[in-house]
Amino acid sequence: MMNRCDNVRDRMGAWLDGELSRSDFEEVRVHLESCPACREEQRQLEKLQASLKELLVAAPSNVSFEQFWPGVEQRIKRQRSWYENLLGWARDLAAPPQLAWAVPAVIVLLLMGVFSLESFWPGMRLAGQRNNFASIDSIDAFGRNIALLRENETKTTIIWLYQNQEGEDESTGEKSEASPSF
Amino acid sequence: MSLPGKRARRVLHFSILCCFVSALGGAAEISPQTFQVKIGAILASNQGNEFDARLAHLKKQLEVLKYRSYRLLKEESQKVQRKGNATFDIPGGRSLVVTPQESGTKQLALRVHLQQGGKPLIDTTVRLNSGGNFLLGGPPHEGGALVISISATAQ
Repeated sequence: MMNRCDNVRDRMGAWLDGELSRSDFEEVRVHLESCPACREEQRQLEKLQASLKELLVAAPSNVSFEQFWPGVEQRIKRQRSWYENLLGWARDLAAPPQLAWAVPAVIVLLLMGVFSLESFWPGMRLAGQRNNFASIDSIDAFGRNIALLRENETKTTIIWLYQNQEGEDESTGEKSEASPSF
Repeated sequence: MSLPGKRARRVLHFSILCCFVSALGGAAEISPQTFQVKIGAILASNQGNEFDARLAHLKKQLEVLKYRSYRLLKEESQKVQRKGNATFDIPGGRSLVVTPQESGTKQLALRVHLQQGGKPLIDTTVRLNSGGNFLLGGPPHEGGALVISISATAQ
């Protein structure tokens, strides 16, 4: 079980950074006043923080900018070559940020245009999409024989109704020629 | 969030909105109210080598049947209201009733009923593209066979 000192030392960092709630802060402060060991711990921690701060502040001052600034100045002054200018112009033209919305808009308009063509001219299709094949949902020849043919080259569907077996149409008595050989 | 990130998010939102609007547009496809139903009654026979010039647009399809002669006997077109039907008199005392069924602007279903002297010969439901056709043939006529081209266009 954690004793009171351990509890306070665990929260010492947060206490120093002022991250504790008001009641927790008071609790730690009262304990520190009455506990020399924890006070010593607090002093050590404060010393460590101060050292770290000094180190971090000192580090950038050691960086030498003497070679850095002339380089920046040179790049600012340098004239861009015609090639770089052309490249930059082309890049701006191809992807101006203010026109970013136009890409999806153009795609949507094109799609809507394609769909609209069919609404205005039913039956109109883009080349290569036409498929004239008809599909049969149901068929009843009332006892007669039938043949279904789907011809690939012309995409034609043919329903052929055969007459009765005597080769004679029952209604008119007409005789027909031989059935097609498809 | 960085500026390019904001822009990308804005473009993404706009794209989603556009897709949504397109989907709504697609869903709102209205069922056609009228249909143009066209039939052509053709006599196919092996007597002679005649090919009726008026059947030029069907030549490739008719050649599948391997008859030597094709003559257009009758051509008729009727406008049919939704849930209505069109009745065509077909040579040989036959009649053809075409009833458009459920349909969109791209594809439609036709119920086709051919009868002769009050007796049904065939009753079929065919699904085809708007503007497309199919052939119904076989009934004997004048020493040959009757071939009926049936097409429909949603309007």
